[in-house]
Amino acid sequence: MRIEDVVCPFCGCLCDDLVVSVEGTKVLSVENGCTLATEKFTGDHRLAHPIRRTGGAWEKTTYDDAIRETAEILLDAERPLLYGWSGTFVEAQTLGVHMAELLGAVIDNTSTVCHGPSIMAIQEVGHPGCTLGQVKNRADVIVYWGANPIEAHPRHMSRYTTFTDGFFVKSAFRERKVIVVDIRETDSSEIADEFVKVTPGGDYAVLTALRMIVRGKGDLVPATVSGVTREQLFRVAEICLSARFGAIFFGLGLTMSRGKSKNIRNAIELTEELNRHTKFTISPMRGHWNVYGSNEVFTWITGYPYAVDFSRGIAFYNPGETTSVDLLRRKECDACLVVASDPGAHFPRACAEHLASIPTVQIDPHVNATTHLSRIQIPVAVTGIDAEGTAYRMDGVPIRTRKLFSTGYPDDVAVLGRVYSLVKEAKG
Amino acid sequence: MNFLMTTGRTIRQGSYVERKNTAPYRDEASCIRMNPVDMFDLLVEEGDAVRVTGAGGSVVMRVRPDPMLPRGLVFVCLGPYANALASPWTHGTGMPDFKTVPVSIEPTTEQPLPVSALMRECGGMPYED
Repeated sequence: MRIEDVVCPFCGCLCDDLVVSVEGTKVLSVENGCTLATEKFTGDHRLAHPIRRTGGAWEKTTYDDAIRETAEILLDAERPLLYGWSGTFVEAQTLGVHMAELLGAVIDNTSTVCHGPSIMAIQEVGHPGCTLGQVKNRADVIVYWGANPIEAHPRHMSRYTTFTDGFFVKSAFRERKVIVVDIRETDSSEIADEFVKVTPGGDYAVLTALRMIVRGKGDLVPATVSGVTREQLFRVAEICLSARFGAIFFGLGLTMSRGKSKNIRNAIELTEELNRHTKFTISPMRGHWNVYGSNEVFTWITGYPYAVDFSRGIAFYNPGETTSVDLLRRKECDACLVVASDPGAHFPRACAEHLASIPTVQIDPHVNATTHLSRIQIPVAVTGIDAEGTAYRMDGVPIRTRKLFSTGYPDDVAVLGRVYSLVKEAKG
Repeated sequence: MNFLMTTGRTIRQGSYVERKNTAPYRDEASCIRMNPVDMFDLLVEEGDAVRVTGAGGSVVMRVRPDPMLPRGLVFVCLGPYANALASPWTHGTGMPDFKTVPVSIEPTTEQPLPVSALMRECGGMPYED
């Protein structure tokens, strides 16, 4: 069977033009998708059944027992952490937040080690963003700053920027200028009209220099700024100022390097300066599929986008204190529920060590690094393949994913709903 | 020798991200890319093992030349090998310094561990599927 308009469940692009051929519960081929999409759909490495660790060995268990034991672990804990949420759909994320409130837990999503600093900056100075459709149809200058879309978002350039024509950009190849700013040459920088190579940790200074030039204070810019020549800074500023519509996309090169949220704040304020002359927007390159949705869900229920602590009986948010890495580093939480993510692979080792020392339960379709740290793992259906649900694209557009076939695995809502019921029953 | 390590995504890391118990994932995630002149200084060739040590710990990786990297900067794709080196301190931001990790690198005769063995070192129990 050939299914059209399938939504990819891998990265934040949520490409919705895939054509997937299936036979029973097997994916035969994926058209229009990138390598990541093809691997996601054709991958056949699911955990077959729930598992639990007893003493020094793993054993098979049932969904009933695994769910009951998960609820018991969470109810016994004084400072539980509910982490992850980006690989699942918003209906499951909603259940997670309500369960965190019942438990007095901390709930955090993967933006804590991704675009959390971007959100902190947006809370300070706002977000002059737009949808990817606007970029595709209008932008004649594209800036990728600290991002390598060819490796991380392989179809971003071909669907929305460099290689696709738009309504007001009839010939993208001729009319769109691409600027890449990075600390190293990448496949993305190879195809840029202008590659700005910054010394590591120097982004804040380069952003400031560009703001000075745009504000007419360029005569104060020194000969080089963090490895970038004054001449190139003026050239980049001129390209941006002569744009009819410019779009900045930034990645973890800004959020994870020195300055963190302040880098993003400076980039947003550069965008604001440019808007005094022309139209410019700025958007984060969200990586993990529905991470944007987790920020939306957390915010519409609690008022805060991630790192929400319910231990006071109200929602409390303080990055650096209630963020997962800090909680785990301080060895503060005494149980952890991981849903649709892999902190074992993506947190510093000290955090992984603490996850191994407390009862950690993982709800995830696949064996990953966190599996080895867990006491229980409950496999679920993969959203967008054998489960349907709503997810948010990196530009904040919600898209309903399709279910291609049924496999018999319960989806995240089915499993979390049962854990939630047990918690609610115990809490009264 | 001392270097600055940066991290990021690669297509291969993304392709194998749901198969972390496999050799192709281990090979990609435990690969450290560096400028060929730095490799010359370290007296290592492509595929040689090196022990990399950072504030968060120490781990064995294999070297791959990458002339696109400037001297003194090494690249490891995000994953448990890179994160074995990162400090958990976030300076009050919630975000560790994943992109700028000072590391020291020396040749070794040891081999990179599989992900499950890395997690055992963290106190976990390997699950073999």
